[in-house]
Amino acid sequence: MSSDETEITYFRRASRWKYIVILLIAALVAIIIVSLNVGYAQISFGKILAILGKQVPLLDSIVDSSLILPSEAAIILQIRLPRIIAGVVVGAALAASGVVYQGVFRNPMADSYVLGVSAGAACGASFSILFGAGFSFFGLRIVQVAAFVGALFAMFLVYNISRVGSRVPVTTLLLCGIAVNFFLYSIVALLEVIAGDELHAIVFWLIGGFSNVLWSDIWAVFPFIAVGISISYFYARSLNLLAMGEETAQHLGLNVERVKQTLLVLASLVTAAAVSLSGLVGFVGLMVPHVTRLVVGPDHRILFPASTMIGAIFLVICDALARVVATPFASTLELPVGIITMLFGAPFFILLFRKKKESYAL
Amino acid sequence: MVLLNVDGIECRYGSVKVLESVSFSVKGGDFVGILGPNGSGKTTLLKSISRTLKPHKGTILLNKDDIYSLKNVEVAKQLAVVPQESNIGFSFSALDVVMMGRNPHITRFQMEGTKDLAVVRKAMTVTNTWQFANRPINELSGGEKQRVIIARALAQEPSILLLDEPLTHLDIINQLEIMDLVKDLCTKEKLVVLAVFHDLNLAARYCTSAMMLKEGKIFAAGDLSEVITSENIKGVFNVNAIVKKHLVSNSVFVIPLSPQKPPSAKRCAVHLICGAGTGTALMKILLDEGYSVTAGVLNVLDTDFETAQFLKIPVTTEAPFSPITEKTHNDNLTMISEASTVVLTSVPFGDGNLRNLEAAIVAVKQGIPTFIIEEVPIERRDFTGGKAKALLTKLKNEGAEFVKSKNELLSLLNVSVEKIKIAKEERDRLLNHLKPGEIHKETEIQGKDHRK
Repeated sequence: MSSDETEITYFRRASRWKYIVILLIAALVAIIIVSLNVGYAQISFGKILAILGKQVPLLDSIVDSSLILPSEAAIILQIRLPRIIAGVVVGAALAASGVVYQGVFRNPMADSYVLGVSAGAACGASFSILFGAGFSFFGLRIVQVAAFVGALFAMFLVYNISRVGSRVPVTTLLLCGIAVNFFLYSIVALLEVIAGDELHAIVFWLIGGFSNVLWSDIWAVFPFIAVGISISYFYARSLNLLAMGEETAQHLGLNVERVKQTLLVLASLVTAAAVSLSGLVGFVGLMVPHVTRLVVGPDHRILFPASTMIGAIFLVICDALARVVATPFASTLELPVGIITMLFGAPFFILLFRKKKESYAL
Repeated sequence: MVLLNVDGIECRYGSVKVLESVSFSVKGGDFVGILGPNGSGKTTLLKSISRTLKPHKGTILLNKDDIYSLKNVEVAKQLAVVPQESNIGFSFSALDVVMMGRNPHITRFQMEGTKDLAVVRKAMTVTNTWQFANRPINELSGGEKQRVIIARALAQEPSILLLDEPLTHLDIINQLEIMDLVKDLCTKEKLVVLAVFHDLNLAARYCTSAMMLKEGKIFAAGDLSEVITSENIKGVFNVNAIVKKHLVSNSVFVIPLSPQKPPSAKRCAVHLICGAGTGTALMKILLDEGYSVTAGVLNVLDTDFETAQFLKIPVTTEAPFSPITEKTHNDNLTMISEASTVVLTSVPFGDGNLRNLEAAIVAVKQGIPTFIIEEVPIERRDFTGGKAKALLTKLKNEGAEFVKSKNELLSLLNVSVEKIKIAKEERDRLLNHLKPGEIHKETEIQGKDHRK
């Protein structure tokens, strides 16, 4: 390759990244619409589009809504759409935080739950399911609030145990995360043992899912996730530098400790918010960043936005599957989406790795 | 102009001092080698200059600013570090890695522009890495990778370059190429280079000045030729070394010698009859094996003479380019009579040193085991018209033993030493087992004083 060609490809890459992001956004929208069609009640795409169009300020006058039944509009707007949007938000959040954790820890095993966020949330949720029935907090379900608080508490604990002066060494952080995880899960196990009738609710929450998600639940966590992801995006180049090792990153002008701590706090906040909405949806925060890296490469400036999109797409697809897979057996049974992410995600992940393992170095 | 000024810094790991009152300053175009054994504080010094390890005392000024009061970004614009080894986790392309060197010049909300790419291209061109700009960094060889890392450092457009043993994993051609490149930048761009070296010869070849650290303190600093001396090397590394000026490269070079074995291992005394460099290697080998060595007769200024001087071996000497006189010959014979073995090397013989052969014959006649190393046949080193050959034949007839090589000599020597040792033990054992009457006999023969 001649040197001018090298330069041209370099700049062409930036526009290629833009196309990738636009393409992924288009894919996400398409999948949302397809997913709205999935469910027990058969509602045609024409009607779905009409119902959606009715919600858009300028379009509502043009759209012919005479054929739409109010019940159909309610199914789409109050049952299916919130559920799908929850999938988008949670999937994006888990994948984004997964990228950040893997980057900061320089460890391929890191995922969204590495700092004990999952166990903290599980702990809080289990407590509230057992002892907080009937309470609510500014109109939000107590489980959601308790899970969020529990997750932040676990993160705070891990972070403060591992801190040495003003520094937070990543190895200590990882090990503390594992230790706190085990500790909090033992409490969850204890609660499960004494749970009795509530055991089913706890187990369901631990697997993670979106049944009965309301718009208010989404609005409660959306700001955390949106702000967290947006700020993190501007640290994409910092994550690239961190991939060179902390010492080198510092030599290249990065304020390593501050960047690291900012990113960890942001990612934990995003994860905690997501988990409080959905329960412990597993595997997304680990798998999506890896799969995306295989496709777009290691540069966080594309890896981060692409992972966020793919995480959202992946979780929406999984949730759609969760709704239909069990239908042939029992029309009202639906699986928690957490089962689907792992059941279908893991084999797909393994397949992809077997195909590309030579070119994948981490 | 002084770019970097280090003043009285002290670093500790816990309570252990690793650097103590280190002060120096450097200016543009300086290429400073930091030398010293493992654990002498070289890397710690680099770390404290690169802000990885804050010293407990003292200041480091970068262009008159305290380096620890500056922001990381400000420092990174002026100071670049090339680490010993880079472990890059992800498969970034070489170009991406070098582009990271532009980080201090770009804000968080900017993308790299054409100017940045131009700087990167230049850095990659001088380091000869542009041709594989698009290859993933973790698929490059050690030398290519290290050149990419140097390109990254150059992309920072620094005025100071810190190198921490940058050549450790590289082969010789890569070492030279990289050092030539750094040297070039140092002279042309007036870059300051501070480099930690393990290899004294590489340091000697490229540095303009050097600093030797010992136990965290500066042992010697200044011009290269003042710092790299046998005395300093002995003082810092505890290694004997020959330091000479190379005739071709006109740089100082260092030949370290293996550390001397402790004197307790001393075996018997060996007298070498050598000259013209034929004994040089053997002297060192015999000393290492634990023999005490003497030599003679050697002319002053002969290579073997210089070696003997360096190794502090007693020698019978003759004036330069002079034939051996009666007096020196007799001195040599005295020296030989004190040795337990005589070794004759494949030295060429002329009329001047023919007497050395006669000395060997005397040794054999006295019953001293004598070995002749014949690496070169006598015909090719006899410049006396056959006299030397005749004497050598006589020597053989008297009972001197011929060997083909130094190794053969060494094994024979070791065996004969063993034999002597065994014989001695045998005698002691027999003495202990002798009957009282026989011991009496023994004492009659041996000790006259006792009989009185």
